[in-house]
Amino acid sequence: MQRLLAWFYARYPWQEFMNNHLSGYYAPRNFNFWYYFGSFSLLVLVSQIFTGIWLTMEYIPVSDGAFASVQHIMRDVRFGWLIRFMHTTGASAFFVVVYLHMYRGLIYGSYQKPRELLWLVGMLIYLVLLLEAFTGYVLPWGQMSFWAAEVITSFASAIPYIGKGIMVWLRGDYSVSGVTLHRFFALHVIFFPLLIVGIVFVHLVSLHKVGSNNPDGIEIKDHKKDGIPVDGIPFHPYYTVKDILGIVVFLFVFCTILFFAPKFGGLFLEPENYIPANPLQTPEHITPAWYMTPFYAILRAIPNKLLGVIAMAAAIAMMFILPWLDRSKVRSIRYKGTRSKIAITAFTICFIGLGYLGHEPVSPLYTFLARLFTAGYFAFFIFMPFYTATEKTHPVPERLTE
Amino acid sequence: MKRYLLILLFLLLPCAVFAEEEVKIALTPAPIDASDIASIKRGAQFFAANCMSCHTLVYMRYNKLAQEAGVTYEKMPVNIKSWPYGVSPPDLSLEADAKGVDWIYTYLHSFYQDASRPSGVNNLVFPNTAMPGIITTFQGTQVKAEKLPTALFHKQQWFDLVVLEKQGTMTPDKFDQTVTDVVNFLAYAAHPYESSQKSLGWWVLGFLVILFVLAFYLKKEYWKDVKRK
Repeated sequence: MQRLLAWFYARYPWQEFMNNHLSGYYAPRNFNFWYYFGSFSLLVLVSQIFTGIWLTMEYIPVSDGAFASVQHIMRDVRFGWLIRFMHTTGASAFFVVVYLHMYRGLIYGSYQKPRELLWLVGMLIYLVLLLEAFTGYVLPWGQMSFWAAEVITSFASAIPYIGKGIMVWLRGDYSVSGVTLHRFFALHVIFFPLLIVGIVFVHLVSLHKVGSNNPDGIEIKDHKKDGIPVDGIPFHPYYTVKDILGIVVFLFVFCTILFFAPKFGGLFLEPENYIPANPLQTPEHITPAWYMTPFYAILRAIPNKLLGVIAMAAAIAMMFILPWLDRSKVRSIRYKGTRSKIAITAFTICFIGLGYLGHEPVSPLYTFLARLFTAGYFAFFIFMPFYTATEKTHPVPERLTE
Repeated sequence: MKRYLLILLFLLLPCAVFAEEEVKIALTPAPIDASDIASIKRGAQFFAANCMSCHTLVYMRYNKLAQEAGVTYEKMPVNIKSWPYGVSPPDLSLEADAKGVDWIYTYLHSFYQDASRPSGVNNLVFPNTAMPGIITTFQGTQVKAEKLPTALFHKQQWFDLVVLEKQGTMTPDKFDQTVTDVVNFLAYAAHPYESSQKSLGWWVLGFLVILFVLAFYLKKEYWKDVKRK
């Protein structure tokens, strides 16, 4: 056995890898609650891939068979309901943890120099994740699947001159049909997952180049002793055991929903989607899945379709350029000035508010609120270079405070 | 500045006008119990005898059930070309998930006589339903209440809006029980895995609690040498 291992180590950099990226990779010792969500999203990614593979074994991606094959999985496949509920709950859980992970980056300034690339790669994951979730949402081929596909692909038609052509190219048909379903299936099970796994790898590589930020927003590499950051601890075993503890708590919440409320009051699985897709009958309210509703609310808040689509795209683009908008001397919200604190609070209210409104039917009051929140959302980003550069920040300590 | 504020106010004014809301009926909570197997069976019997001549349950393995009740697929008129009112009866295997158990419970209770409809009946939760008054044989005939009770702070229930004119073959209590059974059965038909889902859920959560204790002490043991300021 010893010799076999020696043979292996001589041919593969296993030990170097373990040392560089786990036991010899130093992370700040003051990670708090917010720092769990990175490893949670990795866990959910793996879970989604495996449950997805098993679902693919019984799922049929044609318009005549898709809906029935999902019921076949739920009823006739042994533990099929468990695998499918893991996948549907996992989709929503993915966005919960990713949103919290992104929010952590926002409040502690994890996107600032030298972590701009890390943030950009992360945003790219988020973008592909939205596409992955959307294509997956279409597959059960219920009413909401069908009409969400119809509405979302129609956004392309807002582009002048070439929009209609792009829309037909996306759908593979003049309206959403079995052709659309089949290609969305291909994208959902092969293209986007491959892309996500690839970009996640790049995300981790760029993280390990610059190291983690922390709640104080202080560079731990500035204070080294014998080449080791004094405020750092090896990722393994300290953060591996801590993440295991976090993962058990996460799984407890996850399984409570999975086993006792997988529909989550119609938010994770909509009642309308228990009716097979019917191109002739439009549902009363078409809403995208909850994780897309903030952007949907922005789209609806703008009376012009083209401008609405542009605003929606701009809302996501804003998050991409965030590292170059923040001109503050400090990273963490702990040491930023009052203006930044107010701005982040207002932004949080706007984003959650938009998320709620995007799920509700349109009413004059709600349209007014959606416009208000949309303005707030964009103001947070557009005015960021000014309020961050001019505000008075608090003195940043030399070393971690806790 | 003032001028801009005024312009803004005028722009926003049309948004603030509230849309008039329709009077909506409240759904009566269905008193079903997923663990009451006897009730599910009674509901299945009733369903097979009375509903299955029109409504399918394609995702249930119902052939056996139907045959036991004397309904075979060939005898079902689901294949007829033109349904009386141009609407073919919906498949009900997922009705409890799509509409909800309370909706079905209220729907089955709230048929009333309406001469303007070709079938002679109408429904409170599903106005102008194409379904004829099959259920009125059991419930009896209901007519719309002439005097509505005043409801200021709550929505009207179905029993506020209709009165039983003539009792059918069942007493109101027996009818409630039968509808509960049918709804219970349809809930089972929509998610037959639910009871195993819940029982497995408790085991999994119990396992996670034990795992939590172990993980907690493991973390504590490792972290005791991490100095905090």
